[in-house]
Amino acid sequence: MTCFCRTKAVRALLVGLVASAAVVLLCEPALAAPQEADPDYRALPFISSRVVMWIIAELHLMFAAFVLAVPMFALVLEFIGYKTGDKRFDQLAYDFTKLLSVSFSFTATLGALLTFGLIVLYPALTKYLVKVFSWTFLPYVLLFFFEAVFLYAYYYGWGKFSPRVHLFLGLMLNIVGTAIMFIANAWLTFMNTPSGVDELGNLTSLWDAINNYIWMPINIHRLIANMAFGGAIGAAYGAYKFLGARTMEEKAHYDWMGYTGNFIAICALLPLPFAGYWLGVEIYAYDQSLGITLMGGTFSWLFIIQAVLIGNLFLAANYYLWLSMSRIAGAERYRRFIKYLLGVITLCFIVWATPHSLVATVEEARAMGGSHHPILNVLGVMSAKNTAVNLLILTTYVSFLLYRRANKDATVSWARTGNLVQFGIFAVVVIFVVFLGVYGYFVDAQTRIGLSQPQVFSVLFAMVAVTVIDLFLFRGARKRGEIDWGRIPARAQYALFFLAITFAWLMGLMGYVRAGMRQHWHVYGVIRDTSVDAFTPTLGFAGLVVSITVIIFFLFIAVVFFLSGLSSRKDWAERTKGTRRWFRRAKQEQSDSTLSVEAS
Amino acid sequence: MKHALYIFGFTILVSAFYWYVSLWVPQKRTEPPEDIAISADLSTAEMVAIGEEIVAGKGTCLTCHTMGESGAALRFPDLGNIGAIAATRVEGQGDVTYLAESMYDPNAYVLPGFVAGMPAVARPPVALTDDEILTVIAYLQSLGGTPTVTMATELEWQGQSIGAADAAPVAVGGNRDAETLFTSYLCNTCHNLDGTPGAGPSLEGLGTRLTKAEIYESILDPDATITEGFAPGVMGTMLTATGFREQVSAQELQSLVDYLAGL
Repeated sequence: MTCFCRTKAVRALLVGLVASAAVVLLCEPALAAPQEADPDYRALPFISSRVVMWIIAELHLMFAAFVLAVPMFALVLEFIGYKTGDKRFDQLAYDFTKLLSVSFSFTATLGALLTFGLIVLYPALTKYLVKVFSWTFLPYVLLFFFEAVFLYAYYYGWGKFSPRVHLFLGLMLNIVGTAIMFIANAWLTFMNTPSGVDELGNLTSLWDAINNYIWMPINIHRLIANMAFGGAIGAAYGAYKFLGARTMEEKAHYDWMGYTGNFIAICALLPLPFAGYWLGVEIYAYDQSLGITLMGGTFSWLFIIQAVLIGNLFLAANYYLWLSMSRIAGAERYRRFIKYLLGVITLCFIVWATPHSLVATVEEARAMGGSHHPILNVLGVMSAKNTAVNLLILTTYVSFLLYRRANKDATVSWARTGNLVQFGIFAVVVIFVVFLGVYGYFVDAQTRIGLSQPQVFSVLFAMVAVTVIDLFLFRGARKRGEIDWGRIPARAQYALFFLAITFAWLMGLMGYVRAGMRQHWHVYGVIRDTSVDAFTPTLGFAGLVVSITVIIFFLFIAVVFFLSGLSSRKDWAERTKGTRRWFRRAKQEQSDSTLSVEAS
Repeated sequence: MKHALYIFGFTILVSAFYWYVSLWVPQKRTEPPEDIAISADLSTAEMVAIGEEIVAGKGTCLTCHTMGESGAALRFPDLGNIGAIAATRVEGQGDVTYLAESMYDPNAYVLPGFVAGMPAVARPPVALTDDEILTVIAYLQSLGGTPTVTMATELEWQGQSIGAADAAPVAVGGNRDAETLFTSYLCNTCHNLDGTPGAGPSLEGLGTRLTKAEIYESILDPDATITEGFAPGVMGTMLTATGFREQVSAQELQSLVDYLAGL
């Protein structure tokens, strides 16, 4: 026996020695070779490095957006629950927070993968960015550490601390998370609009490099977009749980969760175009040619795809609201308006998605007298599109308003006047928006661009003013019935999934254009992309990469949903108690019968 | 589990739909601009040709300027007739100085009605070299005027360029894009440029025989006029077979016609 063991040990040692020798021999040329300077790029076999980094970066961004957004509305919901004493809000906030811990791990893992990928595949670029931003890394890591502490304290401390302490933890989680995002945004916005460096790329001011032209617009844009995205994913979770729910109580809870997530997503979506407008202005302010590349050059057709996506978001959001009205007693009286709302939304969608120049064959181009269609050309310009998107926002707001008052009858003495004033505000704003849209055709470009602001502000005014009036109008209103949560068709849940997928796709597309507008520059005007991937790909290829990324993201999200759902499952022992008892009894009976046979 | 599978299928379906949408729009892959090697003894005609190429390519001028009718946007002044009017823009400033200042220090003088914002083209990200700027001036002068600038012309701003040393030399000459089109659409399989007839007539000296409009017509409707000795219908069949009509853009067609008119 000893001999056998010794033989085995010797054989293992020999195998190990041979393997080590083989490794040394294989590595020998590399070890013996003189030390070469670091390459600017390294390539992966079979697949482009850029595509790999693109997918990893986008997945990281999607998870980061979710992880940053959920604590925001979880905190708000918890606060509402605390102030009103309504436990449902507290439970809902907890349900959202359950998704956080797994998502946080995914975000961190993808972030590490992104960093390692950059170091390995883009060493020169990484070295330059490290040189510029080295002093921001320590605070970033420290904040990340604090975020982990606050996040887990917030999640595991649910119900374990006093409500105020717990709310404070949530607040700190949000502050730290936002600060992390701001630092990371400095790195990526610097690549688009570098500041604080001289023409040779040497750092002259770290603060200027951080506070570059689009840093703050991106910060704000991402804060709002994260809310929209997080809300949509939260709503999708509600929809997923709703479809698998077995009791009416569960259905009611997850229906409410889906509705709340969607409400948050749409509320955040409405001001997003305005933040985007600010971002665009800053890009133009930094470099007009960069702005024109984005909006009027290579990427102008990308915004037609964006229009299709946002149009679908509005359509799906309205569709969900209309379906949601089926759970409200008294909503029947508003159903007749739906066809008109749908008509307006469809019309606005068509106008928004109309391209300025058409893809046409030579014969068609000759027949049209150019690439611009004689009629559709009129709808493909800024005046028409701005008007369409403003009316789209206003129409969605009307859908929400109808939903809000579906089961209520105003009892205040001035109800009729209030309704008339609300109608008057809508009418005046619609006329004003359309007038400015038409007027835009008769003025120069500079004036036309300036008209978008009064259009936006008038729509915002209408929404705020009508909401304020509505709040007073329906104070102490008579209810026609309660909202019957859980009574909603399954297709409404698919509308929520559709919204979540569309949001993710939109995020992927806009992520692409933000990076893509630099074209053949890693850092615009400072570090040129000299890799084999320096070209700007076709929009079809970009669409394929975005689609693959979105599918991978939802696969990961499915894992998050599954793992998050485990906490509400019964323990294994409890779940299988009956089965195990039956199994034991069956085994006992079998054993007894064997014994009796043997005995006989 | 059943719902999870449905949802996953739905996710794939929606993502595939959006990919399909992204395939509807024009598909254009944009290559990084190529650097151009410029020798010190270029003739005026060569300078104009290179300048034209830089304006449309590396200089990214057409992103903001229109060039008569061929530009894409109108954010900055039209350059279609700039050679004729450059000398009149700023009192006491000759056309070469005005055009040079407009590129090296574009916001020193901004034409009334326009806003400042053009980047200095000798600086990154455009980063044209001094020699490249001279060729661009020659081209701009040729637009309605006569080029007077040479490669020996000295400008007070010279020596400020960034990145000139990084320029990778690439051979240049003529309208390279159109030449590429000529071969990529397989025109060269039937048409020779050296005077010898192929399956189709030789295109040597085409510009002296046909106007641009006639060249345009002979591409779009090849059977409208048939050169003696050649069969009708052949070129039409070839154009269909190569997918020329579906693929060629208006800009490419114009570029191709310009190229053929110059033969």
